[in-house]
Amino acid sequence: MSTHNEHNENEDKIILGDQEILKSDLLTLNMGPQHPATHGVLRVEIKTDSEIVVEAIPHLGYLHRCFEKHAENLDYRGVIPFVDRMDYLAAMSMEWGYALAVEKMLGTEVPKRAEYIRVIVAELQRIASHIVFFGTYAIDLGAFTPFLYVFQDREEILRLFEELSGARMLYNYIWIGGVWNDITDDQLKRIKSFIDRYEEDLKKYHSLVGENRIFSDRTANVGILSQEQAFDYGATGPVLRGSGVKWDLRKNRSYGLYDKLDFDVPVGEGLKGTVGDCWDRYHVRVREMFESIKIIRQCLDGIEEGPFIGKVPKIIKVPAGEIYLRTECPRGELGYHLISDGGKTPYRLKVKSSCFTHVSLLPILAPGQMVADLVATIGSIDIVLGEVDR
Amino acid sequence: MHNQIAEFINKNVNGANAIINELVAGVGDKSITVESSKILETCSALKSSQEFDFNVLQVVSGTDYADRIEVSYIMASFSKNLELILKVKLPRGDKHNLPKLNSVVSVWNAANFLERETYDMIGVEFVGHPDFRRILCPYDWEGHPLRKDYVVQEKYLDMVVNPPEKNNTYDQMFGRNLKLEIGDPKKVSASWKEDVEETADEAKDGE
Repeated sequence: MSTHNEHNENEDKIILGDQEILKSDLLTLNMGPQHPATHGVLRVEIKTDSEIVVEAIPHLGYLHRCFEKHAENLDYRGVIPFVDRMDYLAAMSMEWGYALAVEKMLGTEVPKRAEYIRVIVAELQRIASHIVFFGTYAIDLGAFTPFLYVFQDREEILRLFEELSGARMLYNYIWIGGVWNDITDDQLKRIKSFIDRYEEDLKKYHSLVGENRIFSDRTANVGILSQEQAFDYGATGPVLRGSGVKWDLRKNRSYGLYDKLDFDVPVGEGLKGTVGDCWDRYHVRVREMFESIKIIRQCLDGIEEGPFIGKVPKIIKVPAGEIYLRTECPRGELGYHLISDGGKTPYRLKVKSSCFTHVSLLPILAPGQMVADLVATIGSIDIVLGEVDR
Repeated sequence: MHNQIAEFINKNVNGANAIINELVAGVGDKSITVESSKILETCSALKSSQEFDFNVLQVVSGTDYADRIEVSYIMASFSKNLELILKVKLPRGDKHNLPKLNSVVSVWNAANFLERETYDMIGVEFVGHPDFRRILCPYDWEGHPLRKDYVVQEKYLDMVVNPPEKNNTYDQMFGRNLKLEIGDPKKVSASWKEDVEETADEAKDGE
């Protein structure tokens, strides 16, 4: 963290303990772009009055690759590996949204088995992604051990994905019309034994971290986001649900097989503090993992034999028109606005990234907090800079 | 649904002139086009309407066509479970005279970052935006990358943007092939340079 002092000659006159008198000259701090608590290359310029944040200005673009421009030069299949690189912690979910948008334009039937595989991998991906949140959020708040525990479980999921697709993080597995390769019975059995074990372990982890007095003191009543603000700033996903809004695209605008599956939508209840604080957002994510386990279990019971990829023409030409399709990803809603002129490449592919909108929450959440609480707030909105900058 | 919304806009906003864009090939989503000067009034009417209640702005994005720029506002209602693509058409303008639109930050604060991104990528100026600057590219970058005729600048702060020793021969071949296939530079969006020395490439390929 590099500091740069403006005027600080009155430093000895600060009286701590009473915020009314606590008025000194502002100090500008640069948090990032290489700060471990920003989870990537985010730079937040903060102005502090002693230890209280007065203003926070996010500066983005350190990871900007202009994916949307690349997509205009690639055929429809070739876009998928690029889509992976947006939210690299939830690549399966990114692929699924894109594949759905193109399939809807083409009118492709996706075979039943492929639908089941998609739900299974997407929900496993949700667990893997929330595990990264769980581990790194605990590190942000000073607890190192939970990270080591949960990453063992993530490793198991990644190893499975590696067997399925050949890659650990950037899969290119969900293709237009289905999936790249079939899943074997052995792998399904391993998923079953994994979720059985993980469900028990997660309860333990949550009682160790979430119910911990230090953790809940650090996160409860910190970074409170009200419902009105959440709608106004376009928050989605766990951040919106943390503020007490029962909204999940898997339920409300169902896609894939979700309308046939039974699961709940957890929302923030303010158990430790106020509705919409950091602890609520943490708790929503933990409960979502249990719901994902529930969904996977139903899919493992219901999966059918059959083909895993539908009939798609060799050269994909999407009919002229446009579509806006959004799906529920681990970090929020992901929308693809695809405009086609009837050619072999997209005319324009705009991505609505939830992380990008969530970064715009920082200027309203940060003022009035301690610097250390800002770290807790940034961690709780769980951004991935690959998706922010695209 | 689109008929009702278009009717609502025409009734409540004077001169908005809402037209439904029907599907071209029978697939995808319909959209509604309104007059660009009435965008702020239209958005605030749609947000405050009891009937539709578009409480969330999801996307502001621009698309560059040969004769115009279309800015799409995609909004959603979480209470009524609706989705709408609202469009305005603007002239393309040029470097010193970018097309202008009224900012909708006063309606949804989400528009703050989204409009900044649209300005950065497509080059549309938003009048009345509280914090108007680029967001993804550096603040002193030139040009707007998602325009179809964009060519990347040669130098940025004395740094050469694409130094020849770092050029990938295959990227250049890709750009050249695109140009051969499509011909018209406006239709190709690759940021290629005019004929990079062919001989040098061939020598490299031969190695």
